[in-house]
This record gives sequence, structure tokens and C-alpha cells, in this order.
Amino acid sequence: MIMDYILSVATLAGINMIAVLGLSVFTGFTGLFSLGHAAFIAVGAYTSAVLTYYYYVPFALALVAGSAMAGAVSLVIGIPTLRAKLRSDYFAIAILGFGEALRVLLENLTITNGARGLPGIDSFTTPFTVLFCLAVSVVLVSNFLRSRWGAACIAIREDPIAAEMAGVRLFRTRLLSLMVSAVFCGLSGGLMAHYLSFIQPVMFTLTQSTQLLAAVIAGGMGSISGPLIASFAFIALPEALRVAQMWRLVAYGLLLVLIMVYRPQGLMGYREITSLFGKRRDDGRRER
Amino acid sequence: MSAGHTFFSVTGLTKDFGGIRAVDDLCFSVEKGSITGIIGPNGAGKTTVFNLVTGVYRPTSGAIHLMGEPIGGLRPDAIVRKGIARTFQNIRLFNRQSCLENVMTPLLQRERHSFVGSVLRTPGARRRQRDLADRGRSLLASLGLEPFASQQANTLPYGLQRKLEIVRALATGPELLLLDEPAAGMNPEETKRLAELIAEIRERFDVTILLIEHHMDLVMNICEPIVVMNFGALLACGTPDEVRSNPDVIAAYLGKGKKSHDASAQG
Amino acid sequence: MFLQTLITGLSIGGIYALMAVGYSLVFSVLNFSNFAHGAVIMLGAYVGLALATKLSLGFGLVLAGSVAGAGIIAVLNERLAYSVLRRRKAPSLYLMISAMGCSVFLENLVYATIGSRFYAFPEFFGRQVLTLWGSSVSLLDMGAFLFALVSIFALHVFISSTRTGIAIRAGVSDMTMCSLMGVDLNRLIAIVFLLAGGFAGVAGVFLGIKYLVYPTMGWVTNKAYIAAVIGGLGSLPGALAGGLILGVVETFVSSYVSSVLRDVFSFSLLIAFLVLRPNGLMGQDTEEKV
Repeated sequence: MIMDYILSVATLAGINMIAVLGLSVFTGFTGLFSLGHAAFIAVGAYTSAVLTYYYYVPFALALVAGSAMAGAVSLVIGIPTLRAKLRSDYFAIAILGFGEALRVLLENLTITNGARGLPGIDSFTTPFTVLFCLAVSVVLVSNFLRSRWGAACIAIREDPIAAEMAGVRLFRTRLLSLMVSAVFCGLSGGLMAHYLSFIQPVMFTLTQSTQLLAAVIAGGMGSISGPLIASFAFIALPEALRVAQMWRLVAYGLLLVLIMVYRPQGLMGYREITSLFGKRRDDGRRER
Repeated sequence: MSAGHTFFSVTGLTKDFGGIRAVDDLCFSVEKGSITGIIGPNGAGKTTVFNLVTGVYRPTSGAIHLMGEPIGGLRPDAIVRKGIARTFQNIRLFNRQSCLENVMTPLLQRERHSFVGSVLRTPGARRRQRDLADRGRSLLASLGLEPFASQQANTLPYGLQRKLEIVRALATGPELLLLDEPAAGMNPEETKRLAELIAEIRERFDVTILLIEHHMDLVMNICEPIVVMNFGALLACGTPDEVRSNPDVIAAYLGKGKKSHDASAQG
Repeated sequence: MFLQTLITGLSIGGIYALMAVGYSLVFSVLNFSNFAHGAVIMLGAYVGLALATKLSLGFGLVLAGSVAGAGIIAVLNERLAYSVLRRRKAPSLYLMISAMGCSVFLENLVYATIGSRFYAFPEFFGRQVLTLWGSSVSLLDMGAFLFALVSIFALHVFISSTRTGIAIRAGVSDMTMCSLMGVDLNRLIAIVFLLAGGFAGVAGVFLGIKYLVYPTMGWVTNKAYIAAVIGGLGSLPGALAGGLILGVVETFVSSYVSSVLRDVFSFSLLIAFLVLRPNGLMGQDTEEKV
């Protein structure tokens, strides 16, 4: 009984970690902030759920379709806003507006069953599925970050002008980074829908986006392990302490303020957990 | 490059910021293989010229040609691919990355990679990255930075940061290298060594160099020709001796040639 | 029908404008979007509610009390969550995220302590309805609209002709210069937040009377933020114009196109303005602090 409970908390944490991993590509490694990534989770959740619920599409295929749809939707907001080179706070707000608009739309479409939400989605997601997806995601994301495109993202985070002078295509790289982050958020959404077997537009609000951002910032910009640890802690700690949902949000809010005021680079700012155990992150990570 | 084209030229280049004309109908050209210097009093618009040439700003009017091709108004990364690289007056490195990563970034951008191959990290993709890392290391070695390959860029001493910025620019494979006050903040001894280094870079990498500098002895020693700017416009152009004896130049500097050199020692 | 829609739109727009003023005031001085403003409005509404129900005060005193309460909350908010960042010259984005944190914190704190119940104000105005040119408008809406006009005008006069107001405007154009000239920057910013908070208090009471009082009632301030962006962040006449425009356009969209699409439309308008005209209709060029 208690094992089941622990397993379910860990599974939910794992699902959340995949989304946080996605956002950390965009925020931690490309240096752009978003207050609307919950929208991409919603797209992934609804797309995959509608596919398995109404059209009996196989689960794996539905997950892929959900991720792809999230990636495609990210272009809708990404192309105009990134092309316009908005100031960074306006960009975060534009995505916020997009997220809210999308949520209002979900509340009013017939196929999503409106604000009442979709109940009775098959619960295909097992703890093993989540573990597998998380592991694959971590590998893919870290490979991406070591690739030509990852190097371009990091260069943009460090200095957009110098990055362009190093031959980086600013708009394309930022758009790609947004798309990659949206794809992983979409995957997380698909897994979530088929784990909880019920989704509702109100699950994908601004508060949700703020929580994702809080995990990335708290965990540390430019780190993969930091945000993963933070997002796990964000889910697991309140469960272990049996804290009510609203007090969790009180704590997230406070945490966000405290981090901005005292430690904007986050817990693991620009480092990986492995670097704490004496193994210095050196140039070795590039070739071997 | 077909015969008859100048290697690099700006013609009628003009840039307005609001009501202020920062660059005014500027014309000059650069010979292939030369080390051309741009000098002029503070606020003469020298760095603005670099920003126009590299696409950071769009020209209000005028044309920029590299090897016969118009490049004015292109995006910065497109201009880099055409063969122009630069360094910055106030160093702009990828601060939290290692020296090798700083150099790897431009190297990686020059090649076509398969996205799927990179993300799956296929043996082929790994091999290519290894080769690139070796090239990055040898580039670092060419300016004596190899021992610092794994050190974070912003922890390097100032002089080495300047060098690293030059290596990063060279890694884009430029035909024309723009150096914006490479000797800023250096003492006379360091400046002398920098002059040797610049000459050496031209030979070894077969690049043409255009540089902005306040250290008069550096400019007078290694640059030919020298372009003199004042109030955004061309004041004079010629060999060091011609420039030195030009009455307009003397008037512009108001006989402060020596003094402005001293002042520039503080950057 | 047309006139009725217009008048309804203007009365909603008046409340939007009251709220948008707070965003614009803070933005004009600190150059960031203070997303905690919605939470301050919500707290202002609760303060007013407590005064009206627990102490049974009249409308004037309730309004004064909630202005004072929300003003103090806004000043405290700045001291605790922004002043360190401001002194460190942090990017405006950090201030905005900190503000977002404040908003989540305050909303959920109210939710966790007072609860999610919806509270109603006592009926100050009854349900009286005025008839203008054959269209009906409630006395409350009319009052809110007039109050918005008068108070924003008063604020405008204050900013453009008193000593403190001029100091604030100077702070807008150059903060460093301002502190060199011996203007006490902390006092100035406290005044700005006091004013923004005061307007939040007024808006909170009007919102609370018109709708109800509950922890997430600040959501509607997203609309006010959109209004501020339309008018041009940092501009007071812009906030008024933006509020009225958004109110009217929204009402027309919901009565002639579809009420479902109203909010989608407003958020699309936000994105369109940010992309195409980030300085809004009346704003000035602002540089991001990097």
C-alpha cells in the first residue's frame, strides 16, 4: 500500500521532470524565459488523449503525435515573437498570453469536452514507461546540447551578439530551442494524461507555468541535473511532508522571490551534480 | 575573386541614429593581405563602421562589398559566412564556457551536421566532434592558449581573453578579420608583442586585417594604409608618413597625437 | 444595441484603466511589468470587504481604507521583493519573475488562510440603473467610470505639476542622475508604489462590488495589463486610453462575434501589440535594462 503511494508520487515527479527538462533547454541553456510552457504540456496531453480516446490510436504513437503537435504549436507563437526580437520580459509575457489564450480555447472546444475536462482516458502510463521516457529524454537532451545546435543555444545565452559573430543563426536557433522544449513538454503532457486518466484545462494555468520555471531557476540555469533534482523535490517533498496543495504554491511563490533576490543563478548554477564529486567538468565532455 | 574587384570596400556608407549622423558618406577600400588601420578621435564613428560592416547595424545608405559581393544589410551570421570575423572593443566571450568550447562554437557552425545523427550521437557524429575538438585545440595552440583549453573563459587574465577572442574569430575561417582596439588596456611591452602577433596571424591564417586602434605606435608600425576618420567622415587615407604629415589630421588631433596615445593606455 | 454595447464597454474599460494605471506607474519608473499588482488589487478588495462587513463602514470610508491598505501592501511588496534587485541593477526580467512569485505567494496565502469562498460586498448602490439616450447603465458602472476619469486626471496633474511628481518624471528619464541630484530615490519609489497601490485599492473595491471577492479575482488584471500594453506601458494617458479601448473592443467582440472568443481575442491583441508595436499607442521608447 505504502509502496504504491511512493511509486505514484515518483511517477508523477518523473512526468514533471520531463517537462522541466524541456524548459531547461529553453531557459537554462538558451537564456530565454517563458511564462507559458504549461500550454505545450496541455497540447501534448489533449492531442494524445483525444487520439487514444476517440480514435484508438496506439499509446506510443499517440505520445509521439502529442509531442510533435506541441512542437508544431510552439512555432505558431515562436515565429512571430522570436523574429521580432522582443525584449526578454515581453517575450515571456507574449508566451503567457499565448498560454492563456490556448487554455480559454480548450475550455470551449467540443472535442476537449470544454472546461469539464476529459475523463476516462485509458491509463496506459506505467511507472516503467515514465522511467524509460525520462531516461531517453535525458540522453537526447544532453546529446542535443553537445551538438552544433546546442553549442549555438549556449552561445546565445552567453552573448547573443558574439554568438551571431561566431556564425550562429539567432532566430533559427532560438526557434529550434523553443521547439525542442515544447516537444518534451508535449511528451510529459501525454504521459500525464494517460497516468491521471483525467485532464482539464484548469490543470494548465499560469501557475503551472510558473512552477515549471521555478524548478528550472531553483535547480540552476545551464544545468540538467539541477532542475531535475529541484522538480523531483518540488513534487516529492510536499508529499512526504503531507503539505496541502495551496501551501505548496505559497512556498513556490516565496521560493521564486527568494531565488531572484539572493541566488538568481539557482542551486546548481551552470554546474552539474557530477561536478560536486570531484570530477571537474572539463573539455573532456565534448569529445569522449 | 575575379580580377578588377577590390578585396573589400565601403562606398558612401552612412548611418544615422535619430538625428545624429554617426557615419557620414564614408568611402575606403582594403587591399587583400594588407593590415589596414582605422584611427580617429573618440566618437569619430570607428566602431560604428565595424558594426555596420558586420551587420550589427543596418546602414542608412551606402554599400559594402567583400570580394565583389554586396554584403551591406545582411544578417550578422550571413556576413560571417561570407568571410568577415571580428573582435569587440569590450571583450565579449562566452564567459561561462571553457576556452575550447568558445572556439568549438564557430567551428561547429561552419559544418553541416545531421540533426538525427547528432541527437542520437552516432559513431560518425562522435568522430566528427572529436576531429573538430582536435582542430579547436590546434587553433588554441597556434596562439599559445592550449594549456587553458579546459579553463572557463572569464577566469583567464585579461590579455589572454583578448587572444581567445581572436582565436574564436579565426575559427569562423575569415578572409577579413576586424580587430576593435586589440591593444586596449595593454602596456607598451604587451602592445609590442601584440603587433608581432597580428603580423604573424596575417601570415599564418592568410587573412586580411582591418583594425581600430588608439595606440599610435602600434598603428604606425604595422598598418599600411591608415584610414583617418573624424565626425563620421573620411579625413585622410594613406601611408603612415602621409597621414602623419597631413595638415587636416594634425588639426583634427590638435597636435594631441602624443597625448591621445598616453590617454589610451588606460583603455 | 450599438450604443448600449458602447456604454457597457466604456464602463468595463473604466475599471481596466483604474487597474492599468498601476502597471504603467511602476513600469514608468522601474521599467518592469509588476505582475504582483493583481494580487495587491485582490488584497485591497479583501481589506475593503473586511471594513464593510466587520465594521459596517460606509462606501467612502471603505474606499479610503482599502486605498490605504493596498498602498501600504504595495510599498512593503517593493521593499521586500524588489528593492534588493533594483539596487543590484538586475535585469527587468528578474524583477518580473520576482513579481510573479509574489503574485503566486499572495494569492495562495489568501487561499490557504481565508479560503476560496466567494464574498459579496454589501449593496452600496443597490441595483439602480440610469437611462442614457435610451440605453441603460448601472449606477455602479457609471460611478466607476467617472471615478476612473477623475482620479487618473488628478494623478496626471499630480505627476506633471507638483514637486514630487516632477521628481518622479525625472526618475523616469534618468535614475542615476536623479540620485546624483540629491533626490531620495527610495522615497520616490515608495511614493510610486503607494500611488499604484492606492489605485489598486480603488480598483479592488469596484471589482469586488461588481463581481465578487475571491483569491484569484486578480486574474482579471491580466486584462488591465493588456490595456496598459495597448496604451503604451509607462504612459498614464495611455493606460486610460488602452483601458477604454480594450473594454469597448472586448464588449463588441463578445456581443457581435462570440463571447467565447472574447478572451482569446484579448490575449491575441496582447501578443500582436508586443510584436508589432511594443511601445503601444502612446508609450515612449524604452530600453531594456541588461
